[in-house]
Amino acid sequence: MSMEYFAGISDALRLTFVQVMILATLSIGIFFIGMYINLKKWGMGSTGYGQEPSGSILAFPKMLAYQMSEHAHVHNQSVLETFFLDILFQRRILTRSPLRWFMHFTIFVGWMTLFALSIAMFFVEMIHMIGEKAGYAHSLPEFMNPEIFRELLSVPNDIFSYILLTGIIIAIYRRLFLAEVREATIAYDSVLLIGLTIITISGFVADGIRTGRFWGFDLPFEYAPPAALFHVVISLLFCIAYIPFSKYIHILAIPLTLLANKGGE
Amino acid sequence: MAKREPSINTENFTAVQLMEVDSCSRCGECVKWCPTYDASGKDPGLAPRDKILRWGEFMKKSYGLRARLFGPKEIPEEEIEKFKDDLYGCTTCGMCATVCESAINTVELWESMRANLVKRGNGPFGKQAAFLKLLKEYKNPYMADNKDRTNWFPEDVRIEEKAEILYYGGCTAELRQRKLALATTRVLNKLGIKFTMLGEDEICCGSVLVRTGQYFFDDVAKKYAQKNIDNIVAKGAKIVLYACAGCYRTSLIDWPRLTGKELPFKVVHIAEFLQELIEQGKIEWEKSIDKKVTYHDPCHLGRHVGVYDPPRAVIEAIPGVELIEMDRTRENQRCCGAGGGVKAGIPDLALGVAKTRVEDALATKADILSSSCPFCKRNLCDGRDAIGAKELEVEDIIVMVAEAMGIDLSDTPE
Repeated sequence: MSMEYFAGISDALRLTFVQVMILATLSIGIFFIGMYINLKKWGMGSTGYGQEPSGSILAFPKMLAYQMSEHAHVHNQSVLETFFLDILFQRRILTRSPLRWFMHFTIFVGWMTLFALSIAMFFVEMIHMIGEKAGYAHSLPEFMNPEIFRELLSVPNDIFSYILLTGIIIAIYRRLFLAEVREATIAYDSVLLIGLTIITISGFVADGIRTGRFWGFDLPFEYAPPAALFHVVISLLFCIAYIPFSKYIHILAIPLTLLANKGGE
Repeated sequence: MAKREPSINTENFTAVQLMEVDSCSRCGECVKWCPTYDASGKDPGLAPRDKILRWGEFMKKSYGLRARLFGPKEIPEEEIEKFKDDLYGCTTCGMCATVCESAINTVELWESMRANLVKRGNGPFGKQAAFLKLLKEYKNPYMADNKDRTNWFPEDVRIEEKAEILYYGGCTAELRQRKLALATTRVLNKLGIKFTMLGEDEICCGSVLVRTGQYFFDDVAKKYAQKNIDNIVAKGAKIVLYACAGCYRTSLIDWPRLTGKELPFKVVHIAEFLQELIEQGKIEWEKSIDKKVTYHDPCHLGRHVGVYDPPRAVIEAIPGVELIEMDRTRENQRCCGAGGGVKAGIPDLALGVAKTRVEDALATKADILSSSCPFCKRNLCDGRDAIGAKELEVEDIIVMVAEAMGIDLSDTPE
């Protein structure tokens, strides 16, 4: 069976594949509804200082564009500098706390790369699957074979999973053992970290069961697809659907704030 | 059944500001650095992070998913009132914006929240409510006759009827801390710089209204800004000099925003002006001060506008002066505690912050704690007196410059 197992998809789990697709669509749908509500909420503001509230969904992009093009008295950093140094490199966190920067940067790099790798894997699977139906699968380059592609990704997947895990461990340590952080922690913060931890650990476990390595805890191979399915489901719900309704919104809002304020004071 | 109306509204917020509320990562940097949170004995309500969280919650209850589906959730009036009290326990110093990892423009955010709550009928705080009435009646917040702005200048002070340079004195220097205004005029005279002033046509810059969220009432702040601009233009000025950081910030940032037009003149702080003259070798010093001096960056000159080096260049140029920096300087400077209406609204809090700042200065073993804002000087003097640190002199840099140039200010009227 060439499609025995990739992301929880097997011939025996065709229904599951459909379910995953439905869930993915649903997650994206919930995400868009949530972002629409957020844009409506932000659009309750005005498109200029001291002006009347707009109420239009376009108010936010308009004000953002205005601020990005406005001449500021102090900080007139370019969009490129803001994008590379403040959004990608997260310079503002590094300036304040190297440890917190390391924690956040490892989570950011691990998370974004794994997300990108998952998307890539998904597309290869889809192209191959459609190719099989349409009869062009044989003409695809060798690396587009899902099995080969999965093996190609296994090393980067491992590396970035551990990078992500490092950040999560530091984050959990801070929340539990640093008094000032622990005392300031509220459910809004905890949900984000708990979600992230469950996704990451479930990913490790699913992969461990499939490969029979440490994280599989000697569980039988037949648990691999449901474990992977759980990982996929929870990832879709937390990483896409839940973003607009939780602290995950900072993934979008902070880069936008950095752009609006030209990297900040 | 009709859906309940939201307990709050979004008046005076920009769309980006409402987004900024959602961008707080709750890292807690602002809490570590906030001067009023510190001086209040770490009152959690004053922590900037907490204010953003609370407003975010208000927004969610009023316009979030649940509110869209089932109608807004009521926010108890006491909760909003408590939020207002905490919101005004802030000097709008901008320290939280400087350290904010998300780059939230907090000063603008606090001011928008204040304006929103003033419109809603909750703000401002305590005595701040008198600002509008005072400004309307007296054109200054000190209940002084506006004629007294410049009519007290000794006869030797030469002020042109019209000139390309105009010195905008500001209410505090002209009406309360006249030594500073006299020093500025005599320094300019001694340097042979022809300048003019607005005299009784000068109106408060409007800072007190903007900072406390009252700027929109009857458009007073806008009208006053426009009137000042028109009067400055009528005097033929191309450059406007300020020795008050608050007026400087308001003119540079708030006037164009209020009037919706670029200023038809250049706004220059006296420290920037003097630095240029020093670099050109145009200042002749006659006296050595021979003291250790530390410099307090006014929030409105430093963090808000980014003028850090000129005042230091001026201080270092004064003969005999040794400049010693405090631990917290430049963008990390600790506020004096007077701004944002706190001096008028919550004087105890203002004094608490000032005492901490004076302690910063005392730790350097400096003889003089200098600044370049009369309002900072006033509060730092109060802080020094409260501590009983009589040995520490608090002085504005323009007065130090005047002294080093051999200018006598002993005839300054009360």
